[in-house]
Amino acid sequence: MRLHARALALAASLVLPCAAIFEDDAYHIDYHHALAGLPKRDTTFFQQPFPGSKASLIYTLSQKQILAAVNPKDGAIVWRQSLSGPPGTGMLRSGEEQDTVISAAGNSIAAWSAADGRLVWENTMGGATAEDLELLEQEDGMANADSKDAVVLLSGSSPEVQRLDGKTGRAKWTYTDSSGDTPFQLSTSPTTIFYISLHTPMLGGSKIKVTSLSPITGKKLDQYTLSSEGEVQSREHILFTGANTAAPLLAWTDKLNKVLKVNIIGTKGVSTFAPPSNEPVQEIVLHASNRVTSLPHFLVEWQTATGHSADVFHVDLKKATIAKAYSLPVLAGKGTFTTTSSDANVYFTRVTPDEISVVSSSSHGILGRWPVKAQSSLAAAHPVHGVSEVVVKSGSASAVRSAILYSNGQFALIRNGELAWERPEFLADAVSAAWAELPEEETLAHELEVEGHSNIISAYIHRVKRHIRDLEYFPAWLQSIPNRLLGNLFGNSQDDTIGDIQRDTFGFHKLVVVATSSGRMAGLDVGSKGKAVWNIDLDQVAPDVAFTRPSLKTAHGYIEVKDRGFEGTLFINSTTGALISSKDIEAHEPSLSEAQRLIAFDLVDGELKGFLGAELTLDPVWTFTPPNGEKIIGFTPRPIKDPVASIGKVLGDRRVLYKYINPNLVLVTAALESTRTASFYLLDSSSGQLLHAISHHDVDVTRPIPSTISENWFSYSLTIDSAADSTSRGYQLVVAELFESAIPDDRGPLGASENSSTLQPSSAMGDVAMPYVLSQTYHIVEEISHMTVTQTKQGITTRELLVTLPSSNAIVGIPRSIIDPRRPVGRDPTALEASEGLTKYTPFIFIDPKWHLNHKYEVMGIEGVITSESGLESTSLVFAFGLDVFGTRVAPSFAFDVLGKGFNKIQMLLTVVALFVGVLFVAPLVRRKQINALWTI
Amino acid sequence: MSPPPPPPQWVYDLNSAPASKPKSSSIPDPPGYSAALSSKQLSKSSKTAGTVRKAPTTEEMDVLKMKKAWELAIAPAKQLPMNAIGMYMTGNTLQIFSMFMVFSLFKTPVMAVLALQRVFAPFETPGTSGRLIGVKVVYVLMNMLMLGLGIWKVNQMGLLPTTRSDWLAWEGERTWSERAVPREWL
Repeated sequence: MRLHARALALAASLVLPCAAIFEDDAYHIDYHHALAGLPKRDTTFFQQPFPGSKASLIYTLSQKQILAAVNPKDGAIVWRQSLSGPPGTGMLRSGEEQDTVISAAGNSIAAWSAADGRLVWENTMGGATAEDLELLEQEDGMANADSKDAVVLLSGSSPEVQRLDGKTGRAKWTYTDSSGDTPFQLSTSPTTIFYISLHTPMLGGSKIKVTSLSPITGKKLDQYTLSSEGEVQSREHILFTGANTAAPLLAWTDKLNKVLKVNIIGTKGVSTFAPPSNEPVQEIVLHASNRVTSLPHFLVEWQTATGHSADVFHVDLKKATIAKAYSLPVLAGKGTFTTTSSDANVYFTRVTPDEISVVSSSSHGILGRWPVKAQSSLAAAHPVHGVSEVVVKSGSASAVRSAILYSNGQFALIRNGELAWERPEFLADAVSAAWAELPEEETLAHELEVEGHSNIISAYIHRVKRHIRDLEYFPAWLQSIPNRLLGNLFGNSQDDTIGDIQRDTFGFHKLVVVATSSGRMAGLDVGSKGKAVWNIDLDQVAPDVAFTRPSLKTAHGYIEVKDRGFEGTLFINSTTGALISSKDIEAHEPSLSEAQRLIAFDLVDGELKGFLGAELTLDPVWTFTPPNGEKIIGFTPRPIKDPVASIGKVLGDRRVLYKYINPNLVLVTAALESTRTASFYLLDSSSGQLLHAISHHDVDVTRPIPSTISENWFSYSLTIDSAADSTSRGYQLVVAELFESAIPDDRGPLGASENSSTLQPSSAMGDVAMPYVLSQTYHIVEEISHMTVTQTKQGITTRELLVTLPSSNAIVGIPRSIIDPRRPVGRDPTALEASEGLTKYTPFIFIDPKWHLNHKYEVMGIEGVITSESGLESTSLVFAFGLDVFGTRVAPSFAFDVLGKGFNKIQMLLTVVALFVGVLFVAPLVRRKQINALWTI
Repeated sequence: MSPPPPPPQWVYDLNSAPASKPKSSSIPDPPGYSAALSSKQLSKSSKTAGTVRKAPTTEEMDVLKMKKAWELAIAPAKQLPMNAIGMYMTGNTLQIFSMFMVFSLFKTPVMAVLALQRVFAPFETPGTSGRLIGVKVVYVLMNMLMLGLGIWKVNQMGLLPTTRSDWLAWEGERTWSERAVPREWL
């Protein structure tokens, strides 16, 4: 037994210096979807990263305020930057022949190097918010060769228009509008900057006011008002403000999309067009080229409930009139149009689920047409918007590639009708995730459950029957043997060849069901690089519910979906994503043994209350209110599945420190902002008994305070207020461990009794047994936004604390031995302590780069990390979601139950064969020698 | 009467012992020839021959046998210090040599005790059988000492389940008569 302890200690000491991702495991056991979020229509474009570059990149500023450059060849992210500001408000512009892209988000205007995403300059506008951003393509009718200046519209106390130097970002001039109108947008023509604001008279509606500014001085040149109050009720009714076209346009419509009014900015005339009259138009979209040199043609897209059509209009610059040139016919279903300009020509690409066609703006003849091959991942989805690049040779389009956002959240590139790549951008909104078992495991578990409940004979018959039924898979299994053998011998990982989800030997194939804030759900197979197996829209399943933060719970074969704004529960099949009616669901009680009583607790009106039984009753069994007016900001219960292999901790002298193992532990986090205090209360949630309380002062309670609890220890992290006059500042990680008694070989007041109850502590035992708490605090370099613990099947493997470090875009696994609260303080460990693997306490934990699970990946915007057991005791599956999706496997005590990749199976086989051959040769020799030995005296 | 003639030469030769064989001679004596003992040797042999060896009495025999048996019984104790030093020197780590030594420490006494009757069979007489019991007890005790050394050594190596931690695996988690879960988990 001591042998074990020593072996473990030895193993622990080995683990300490080198727990890292192995080089041959990296990129094989882990996967990463570097996402940007759903691209926005007006901030997504193809652009060359530097003047003269042959290839172009797709630049996008997404709904999640992520500025990203995507390689159109393979869909990989070239670079990403996270911008500030509320979601969906950012602007992104780029000029022709420029090596920067300029973004405006919140109060910050920044220029980024287009090739590598480095910051060129940044200008922060104090309290003002950027409303619009344009680039001055031309100055005095001449193209700007140098870096082009930006014009930005700011809404602060009074709206301002600023011209920023394209090289440095410094303001060249500022125009202040003190009229009190709502700033709307900017538009530029080669000679003028137009500042468009909305003047709201008392009677309702808005008048569009256009102010012309001199690009050189910023002085007001002219001002006029368009009488748009009949149509424009809010700013959504203004459809388009033409950016940098030769004839900048301003288009608006009324509430019912009954009329389209277009004004050429700089003139007072308003042209009125009516949509096709057959059906009510749901949406009108204007598409125009944003190049100065291109023809002044634009396309108006009419979306109706059943189909879509488009009209192409030409602007006569001399007469300042707009005339309809031709129409594109109505097609059933949804589709979108994209604009491409090449030299002066403008091409419109029509993208529908089945077909891509290209027309020129000047005539209605179709230049090229490609059928789109059906893709399972894009099935039942329609294009929402996109960008295209068209190659036109001698009057016909020879190639087209379109990066299209589909309605199911996939951002895909279609090259000549073929799907080149797709990016599951909808996953960037993930707010919750849950593990689900594969169907085969579910059925097996069910069968075993049946066998467990019946008597021995019928269970035996059942098992024999099951095995006979399993025989039908036997031929397939036999056929798979050669492939598996070869794959094993030559090290080809099977992961690459597995197409559909199926069980693997080691249980690495599992499903993760992810729900997003936009009400979308997807099932990802973590065994095959996180591929989306299914993807559904909850709004279609439950049309009258707006899902904002769906919470998921796994049951046998299905997922229960709940939401704050939704009374009932949706049941989704975890393998197919199909809706299951609640009738087909077998009621599942929480796993309770016969003698156990169920207590449910919940946060009610700022108090934690426990209720007897699953039903919501009026009288709570217990109520916990934090003292001193503190507010509960969260609670962390012990996971429902948290196996404990050993109930004690073996000390160096072979005595035992018994762990305080209580399934009902819950760690309550409470904070008081006025005194900058954060308190942690460890409760027994069956009785509400306070087991332990800690208070921290000078805490920045506005920062996240993550906490986790597992086995007999809990951990949390704090940000110490930098303004406070405290002796310690920075980020702290606190780890506390609970024992039944401070004395080794002692099981506390409960002694060796098998049963325990905190509701009715037996009189002989006196009061409720309180745990003995050991805790230590460590300083860490970075803030932790989320923490969780690895999980394994039986809990034999040491656990690892997984923390998310948002500032370095990393997920780090801190070994348990580093944060062991029994580390001796102020002295070197004794020989006995050293044999336990304890090292001297150091107040500062250096986050070892080897602990990083994400190695070279940059894992951005992680909202949560979930862990699950695998089929191997040594290995825990990790899945992180948020903006990015990242998954890996961790083996905190090394993969002791599986052969590593370094194991040479061929060499082993050859050795066995060589030995066998040797035995064949040597056996006759030995036999002869033995016989001779018998015959000689 | 004339005196009798002197005896012939061969008579002298026969009566007188031949001159002692030169020491350096490498020629062996012929078969069947036994060299006559020298006078000195002769006198010695005649002396022993004179005191005829008297057969020892059974009492004497028993005393002798008891002495021998005691010697045998104490023998394991004599090895003890050497073994103890050896055990001490090998340290408490698990190595193949210390394993072998510990194994022999266990094997030798057990085998010796099992072979008790065989070991003391030569000393078993009607006269000694009563007194031999004590000897056997001492013999067993000595072997037990040896075994004790082995156990001590195994204990030093931490192989004896004498502490709480060795029985930890058989101790169970307490069962809790209540189970509390957050409502959202239901």
